[in-house]
Amino acid sequence: MNVVLWGVYPYLVLVVFFGGLIWRYRYDQFGWTTRSSQLYESKLLRIASPLFHFGILVVVVGHFIGLVIPESWTDAIGVSEHMYHVMALSLGAVAGIATLAGVALLIYRRRKTGPVFMATTKNDKLMYVVLVAAIVAGLATTVVSVFDPNVTNYRETVSPWFRSLWVLQPDVDAMAAASTSFHVHVVVGLALFAIWPFTRLVHAFTAPLHYLFRPYIVYRSRDDVPGTRAARPGWDPVGTRDRDR
Amino acid sequence: MTETTREGRARSRRRGASSGTDGPASEALLALGDFFTRWDESADRRAVYREGGRRGDVFYRDRWSHDKVVRSTHGVNCTGSCSWKVYVKDGIITWEAQQTDYPSTGPDRPEYEPRGCPRGAAFSWYTYSPTRVRYPYGRGVLIEMYREAKQRLGDPVLAFAEIAADPEKRRRYQSARGKGGLVRISWDEAIEIAAAAHVNTIKTYGPDRCAGFSPIPAMSMVSHCIGTRFIQLIGGVMTSFYDWYADLPVASPQVFGDQTDVPESGDWWDASYLMMWGSNVPVTRTPDAHWMAEARYRGTKVVTVSPDYADNTKFADEWMPAQAGTDAALAMAMGHVMLKEFYIDRQVPFFTDYVSKYTDLPMLVTLKQSDDGAYVPETFLTESDLGGSSENAEWKTVLIDSRTGEPVVPNGSMGFRYGDAGEGRWNLDLGDVEPALSAIGPDAQPAEVLMPAFDAPDGSGSVIRRGIPVRQVGGRTVTTVLDLLLAQYGVGRDGLPGEWPTGYDDASSPYTPAWQEEITSVPAAQCIRIAREMARNSEESGGRSMIILGAGVCQWFHGDVTYRAILTLLMITGAMGRNGGGWAHYVGQEKCRPITGWISLANALDWTRPPRTMTGTSYWYMHTGQWRSDGSRQDALTSPLAEGHLEGLHTADVIAKSARMGWMPFYPQFDRNPLDLADEATAATADGSAPDAGAWIADRLQDGSLNAAIDDVDAPENWPRTLVLWRSNLFGSSAKGNEYFLQNLLGTQSNLDAADSAEGPRTVRRRDETPQGKLDLLVSADFRMTSTTLLSDIVFPAATWYEKYDLSSTDMHPYVHAFTPAIDPPWEARSDFDTFTALARKLSELAATHLGTRKDLVTVPLQHDTPGEIAQPGGRALDWREGQTDPVAGKTMPVVAVVERDYTTIADKLVTVGPKAEQLGFTVKNITYDLEEAVASIAAKHGVMSSGAGEGRPAIDTDARMAEAILTFSGTTNGRLAVQGFRDLERRTGRHLVDLAEGAEEKQITFSMTQDSPQPVITSPEWSGSETGGRRYAPFTVNIERLKPFHTLTGRMHFYLDHAWMRDYGEQLPTYRPPLDMHRLFGDVEVPRDSRGENGRGEGEPGALQIAVRYLTPHNKWSIHSEYQDNLLMLSLSRGGPTVWMSVQDAEKIDVVDNDWVECDNANGVYVGRAIVSHRMPEGVVFVHHAQERTIDVPKSQKTGRRGGIHNSVTRLLVKPTHMIGGYAQLSYTFNYLGPTGNQRDIVCTVRKRTAPVTY
Repeated sequence: MNVVLWGVYPYLVLVVFFGGLIWRYRYDQFGWTTRSSQLYESKLLRIASPLFHFGILVVVVGHFIGLVIPESWTDAIGVSEHMYHVMALSLGAVAGIATLAGVALLIYRRRKTGPVFMATTKNDKLMYVVLVAAIVAGLATTVVSVFDPNVTNYRETVSPWFRSLWVLQPDVDAMAAASTSFHVHVVVGLALFAIWPFTRLVHAFTAPLHYLFRPYIVYRSRDDVPGTRAARPGWDPVGTRDRDR
Repeated sequence: MTETTREGRARSRRRGASSGTDGPASEALLALGDFFTRWDESADRRAVYREGGRRGDVFYRDRWSHDKVVRSTHGVNCTGSCSWKVYVKDGIITWEAQQTDYPSTGPDRPEYEPRGCPRGAAFSWYTYSPTRVRYPYGRGVLIEMYREAKQRLGDPVLAFAEIAADPEKRRRYQSARGKGGLVRISWDEAIEIAAAAHVNTIKTYGPDRCAGFSPIPAMSMVSHCIGTRFIQLIGGVMTSFYDWYADLPVASPQVFGDQTDVPESGDWWDASYLMMWGSNVPVTRTPDAHWMAEARYRGTKVVTVSPDYADNTKFADEWMPAQAGTDAALAMAMGHVMLKEFYIDRQVPFFTDYVSKYTDLPMLVTLKQSDDGAYVPETFLTESDLGGSSENAEWKTVLIDSRTGEPVVPNGSMGFRYGDAGEGRWNLDLGDVEPALSAIGPDAQPAEVLMPAFDAPDGSGSVIRRGIPVRQVGGRTVTTVLDLLLAQYGVGRDGLPGEWPTGYDDASSPYTPAWQEEITSVPAAQCIRIAREMARNSEESGGRSMIILGAGVCQWFHGDVTYRAILTLLMITGAMGRNGGGWAHYVGQEKCRPITGWISLANALDWTRPPRTMTGTSYWYMHTGQWRSDGSRQDALTSPLAEGHLEGLHTADVIAKSARMGWMPFYPQFDRNPLDLADEATAATADGSAPDAGAWIADRLQDGSLNAAIDDVDAPENWPRTLVLWRSNLFGSSAKGNEYFLQNLLGTQSNLDAADSAEGPRTVRRRDETPQGKLDLLVSADFRMTSTTLLSDIVFPAATWYEKYDLSSTDMHPYVHAFTPAIDPPWEARSDFDTFTALARKLSELAATHLGTRKDLVTVPLQHDTPGEIAQPGGRALDWREGQTDPVAGKTMPVVAVVERDYTTIADKLVTVGPKAEQLGFTVKNITYDLEEAVASIAAKHGVMSSGAGEGRPAIDTDARMAEAILTFSGTTNGRLAVQGFRDLERRTGRHLVDLAEGAEEKQITFSMTQDSPQPVITSPEWSGSETGGRRYAPFTVNIERLKPFHTLTGRMHFYLDHAWMRDYGEQLPTYRPPLDMHRLFGDVEVPRDSRGENGRGEGEPGALQIAVRYLTPHNKWSIHSEYQDNLLMLSLSRGGPTVWMSVQDAEKIDVVDNDWVECDNANGVYVGRAIVSHRMPEGVVFVHHAQERTIDVPKSQKTGRRGGIHNSVTRLLVKPTHMIGGYAQLSYTFNYLGPTGNQRDIVCTVRKRTAPVTY
């Protein structure tokens, strides 16, 4: 079981995630969108959207520090275990709660604003369930770690496992040793990555960051090759097959 | 520019110049971006210059790149005739957009562009839609039986004959109609079965048992032409549409002697007072409505009359909410005000000059003294009454010259139209004569006159006594039409006896403003004000008062008299025949501008004459058995002063009577095959036993050895046997009494609940059994699956309007423009042209063994604009069958002709111009166009056929070539013909006319020109108005300005109609007749008259709340007839599916809230739909929009358990006898010119809320 969950499942998710993104980019560029509902409702969105997005950005940074930077490195620069955790907990809790509050408000808006709800697909609903589950489970790990002294230090269990995945030597035992709350969060989190390419979440990868650094006006001269398009099959002349009857 | 060159930019960058962007933060970000890239940025960091990376553009560029863009339009009978650009990409039709190249109307007025509406813009959806008919289909059971029989018998005709004659087999496929079971078959087999059915019918019963129906030629002339030509070449019957649709305003032939002629919408701009009366312009004339709105900016006052808060009302300055069907009461009261204030209290020379010259008001009418000494008006006084013996003296009316006080016979009456003596005198030139409008004068005596009135709510007649001045002329007591008109309208003058209203506020006397208020609920003060304003406007503007009229008034049983009451307002104010004035009747895309070419080729007059054309209403009324349950008698509707011509007659009797007197057509003709009759008649003429075929037939009819088919219309030998439908959706749209069609004509299931009436007709035999399933074969061609195709036995997949060549024109604009194929017909679809040529080819092939060359005896009625219209002087309605006269063909009975038909050459003739074209010319409205040059030019352009029956004849063997021929053979599109026509007319009228077309001799509108852009037509005697010099078209301007007579008895516009049947109906003069009392006449539910009174709450089924309402079927915003109502885009824009509009009050009574399912029913059938509860609706009426088919979301009915019907399932045909008058000047038959209307607005029904679950 542990092998399946911590040895196989992550790789499946990786394949689905990257394969899905490539597939989507190649075949559904016009669908690669947030499908913004700002036209339908903007008052709530103005509060909820930044709350959620900035929150999640901090959460992402936190995850990076927690998962990628080994404990030994922080120890080396003199950050004590306690200091680290106070930092992570306080900042993480604020960001996590902001994210949760943001997504709650977004969901409330989505349900209660008629046109927005009309524009909500089944795909969106599934995505929201997984997304919220991941956030809640993530927050839960924090809460549990505060109140339960027996919780393992994720920097000694989850993080080594995570880093081991990338060198194709999954440290299944390390992950198996982690507390249940981390197990749940990781399973749900991986599920979120698995569905990622097939939902509106793909917009994260095309966030127009370069807009910040770019002049407003872009002039593009033509390519060397004039923009003719390839002929497409279109309408076949009326079928000989049917006429042959 | 230097600063923007690269060097320049580089220089500035080196200088580090920056004008700053949004502040230090963005400056920093941009600087950072610039630092980390090698992009070529402008010095101010506002722009970046890059190369390539434009792959994303391709999608957007591609979006507007197309294989081609072609001009086409929609043949949907919406009157829009809007030209469209159709876009094709990768061989697929992608969308359409409005054309913008209509020729300009000139610098001082708006333009025709833009034209179009959301319906037209949604058309391309059909091309690849699920509803598209992609392959030929046949009725499964029939196909199985046919294949079996053919294998056994080896001959298609014998095989079909066997199946059609076997009662059991017949039942099997007929009862399957409309219940699915259509199977794909090959084109060859579909054509073969259709051809075999026709050959079998011609052989067994006669060609007059083959019927065809295809409406509205103007919406796609070539398609209409080719099918009609096929039907006429085989001797079949084409049933009419204009009267059948109740779009024909019968008042137009009655008053003007013209089918209909109306201004183009650009002429609305010329009006300075504009009324919309029963015409919802924004909904039904969508692309033209802008003219009405623009006219308002010009200062034109706009007034609407409609029972509901219609869409056009929101554009109006005033709304006159006359209750449904009471419009004539309002018009009569307005006429009362105008006559009183502008003819009696004050005389307006502009008006009196006009009516003396152009109307029958000064004409003398003879009076008969009744028992109590009062007079009753009879016929016009004619020259023969005065002892004159000039040619056609019985057709020359008389007036009094006010200078001398003597009677004179003015030029222009019907007596001058035919014969040599009238040449040069058929005109309205009065010379020095000054017509006396009134008989008042030294010789006049006051006398009492009796006038019928029908203002009782149940429509029954009463007699009003009023006074007129009378004179003695030629030993007869006479008065003028104006005197009678004033008496009719209750406008009194000093010294005249009789009962008169005491004033406008006298509600007890017809036709005062106060009287109308009680009927219409339009305030009397408003009625007076509008009447005054309109007359005053006419006086000051020279007649620029216009009334746009439409179906809301026209489609009632008494729509003709209502129209006459409204036309009176225009005629007495000098507004007819003016730009910006007169009537503007818009109901249906009637105006086929190249009329001569179309009608002559369609009727195959180049090969055989005369064609068999039939009035649709009487045809379907009889053949679908609607007459059997009709319990009304004419006595219920005739005048209390009637002389008894219609006494005790059933409507079926009237139709039979009208047919045998040669007034209206009826087919089949006799109870025998006309091919056999022709042989016998020819033999009899040859051996000298009869002088001609007509006399031979008259003898047979007289001695009873031959009978009219209508006398035993339900006998199997008198049934219509084949029916071909194309460009039409008879069973999903226009069939009034739809369930009768299904039950009796087709022999399948229906929701019909009508039993035979207690008493049947007198002369028409009513068999005990109602025949069911008269048609052997129902064939239809369509591009979408409609109610009609679902009921058909053979369905041909037709090309859409984006897949064929054709022509379009309309009343609304003066252009002719083309249909052009954007793609070839996809799947196995074919154009109508190709379908009918294939059918003709097969029929000719089968005819070789079964028919060969036969003679055919054709009977046709006496026709308008031919000498036949002066066959029955005095309009005395003499019936030979009752011994009142002798049967004489072409005189007191129909014209009889024997023609030859070589059935093996139908296909050759169909696609070549026949020799009669140049030998006899083509005649329209009594003007013959000499076609020698035109035929030669077609031969030169298209070549001639090298073999077959059409050898040496010009080819019209493709749709584009037929379009070219139509244009070449018409005066409106071939200037040479227009000039020649005017020269002919000049000889008859003695008036100068040719200048209207002069200069256009060299102008020939070719088909390729109509593909380039819409082409404005040439002024031609085919129509009554003028476009000369870029003028906007208004009807009758040639009559008014050039003194060319109207095609009527007096040669003038008629207020008075003196025919015996008109007198019996009490409609000699305009009058008010309320909507039919369907309860009294047909035993239908009673609609409460007082809209505030109690409705029939809770009657019928216990617990089921129901109300009785009038059932109106106005036209729809989301569809054009049945087209587009199944279109996904229109379904999305509208509520979609079947709907019933009802008032808030009515909905409350039956506990219905918006969107509840309700059922409308009566004995005719059931309609199931969702209620749209709206404050727009008045109480006591429901709107079930025309046309809502069975094909979209129609559940089973709670009442019958069968599928609910179409909007016309609740209606039935109500036939008005006065529409069937014939042989009498303007009251004579011509196809679509005159005939009984298929009106349906008087229908009442019960509405109840649905309580059972909705099931399909």
